[in-house]
Amino acid sequence: MTAAAANPATRSRPVLISASSLIGPATIIVAFGVIAPMLILLRYSFNRYDPRMLMIEAFSPENYLKFFSDPFYLQIFWTTLRISLLCTLICLVLGFPLAYVLARTRVRYKNLLIIGVVIPLFVGNAVRAAGWMTLFGSRGFLSVMLMKLGITNAPTEIMFTETAVIVGIIAVNLPYMVLTLQSVLEGIDRNLEEAAFSLGAGPLTMARRVLWPMALPGIAAGVILTFILAMNAYATPVLLGGPDFHMMAPLVYSQFQLNNWPFAAAVAFILTVTTLALTVAAGLATRQRFRG
Amino acid sequence: MTTTALPPSTPLPRQSFDRRKLGRWALLAVSALAFVYILTPLIFVTWLSFYSQEIPSFPPEGYSLKWYAGAISNDRFIDAFILSAELGIVSTLIGLVLAIPASLGLTRLKFRGRDGLGNMMLMPLIVPGIVLGIALYIFHVEIEINTGLPIIGSFYGLVWGHVLLVIPWAVRLITASLAGFDRTLEEAAQNLGADRFTTFRRVTLPGILPGIVAGGMFGFVSSFGNLEMSLFLVGPGSNTLPIAILQYLRWKIDPTIASISVLQILVIAVAMIITDRFVKLSRVV
Repeated sequence: MTAAAANPATRSRPVLISASSLIGPATIIVAFGVIAPMLILLRYSFNRYDPRMLMIEAFSPENYLKFFSDPFYLQIFWTTLRISLLCTLICLVLGFPLAYVLARTRVRYKNLLIIGVVIPLFVGNAVRAAGWMTLFGSRGFLSVMLMKLGITNAPTEIMFTETAVIVGIIAVNLPYMVLTLQSVLEGIDRNLEEAAFSLGAGPLTMARRVLWPMALPGIAAGVILTFILAMNAYATPVLLGGPDFHMMAPLVYSQFQLNNWPFAAAVAFILTVTTLALTVAAGLATRQRFRG
Repeated sequence: MTTTALPPSTPLPRQSFDRRKLGRWALLAVSALAFVYILTPLIFVTWLSFYSQEIPSFPPEGYSLKWYAGAISNDRFIDAFILSAELGIVSTLIGLVLAIPASLGLTRLKFRGRDGLGNMMLMPLIVPGIVLGIALYIFHVEIEINTGLPIIGSFYGLVWGHVLLVIPWAVRLITASLAGFDRTLEEAAQNLGADRFTTFRRVTLPGILPGIVAGGMFGFVSSFGNLEMSLFLVGPGSNTLPIAILQYLRWKIDPTIASISVLQILVIAVAMIITDRFVKLSRVV
């Protein structure tokens, strides 16, 4: 058995059997945890809702039509998309330099710096929203400091605005971007940078011509991850945006709580399909860049 | 998320262009800004937890530790904390038991549809949490209607959902660690007469341990901090810690909730620093 195991040629026949016994259990759990529920959710989204009877079996596109014909819901859709794209862009701009510094630094307390980036990830979004609530309140730190410094005369109201939500989502997503980029940048040979410098490239040229193309797969991964997280944001818009601010994920939950499961299912699907479509598009775009 | 080692340190050529110096300062400035940005909410929530007055107005009238005493005797939050911890540990263990063999299969065996399966394992990370939550809830409703199993709002229903959160992190980090593992070590062990299981237990497993620990850690953390999916899956009257915190914050922000947040941050920070002593976070994250 031992000699045969070491030789891949003699193992080719039982490969399928061992593959299914190794991968099978996890596959089944994921299939029954994600794919089957999503299919049922898709089916529900074509059902009808009746305030008295709740859900009625049907096959009608009316939930989707309702979403795309009502300016209120369309507004929520565009707000979510706009905020997600903006947050992702800012995360990339802020995250890339920090990721680079973390990847290249040799200081003794490098691990502490990494822990400083990782801990906020581990702390829930609600806790981080609490921090921003302290900072943003009308008698909070920011408002009081702005008045003390004479920049404003009246209390600044940032809580329950789109700005607060954007600031909050960036803080949530930035660590994901930094850690994804850091692991990729750490794999890039430092000598390549030195080569670019010794050939006369400035730091920006070096970053653009050496780091950027080599880190592109990692950048794509980071951008996709932060974009998905932003589209998906729930606690941050609910807590920092307040009751009159709407994004897609809170809309799914509020419709669900109103017992309108078919419409909630339809909104959930619109959110998923949009996210997936943009994710695939981003993946294809980077692959194209790679070849060209 | 690879375990790539840094190249051996090479002395920098001494050609300090002004441009390069300026670039370095700009780089450091933006990095510092990003770093402070990430930590700002934690700093402010910690600060608030020490205010002596209940209203979160700045500057504080004084400082006090009384809110911490209140927090650790608050049954609502203790129950929520225990549920979250149990859920995280059970889900992580189940997730690892499923993910380790799956990762081995995905990296070691060549078969058709391997990439597709690998991508499928990562699906729970790609499907938005809120969508996964509602989909699972509806699925549980269908199961309960059709089989009579009481799964809606049960602990097992929650574990099922949270295992889904653990698997992608664990598979991702363990496969990365397997890809960087030198297989000649296994061949050496087998040449020396070890059977496959012994080889796995004595050579492969210790070799990929950092990946397993990191995968388990990330899995536990995404379970412990999960809010969106759990919102749909918790039963009436029981709450995970993130849900309890969210519900309180929708009502008001005060030093009590801030001190609960700080206790959570502390537990996590201590766990991270201890873990960092075993597996260097800068290598596994």
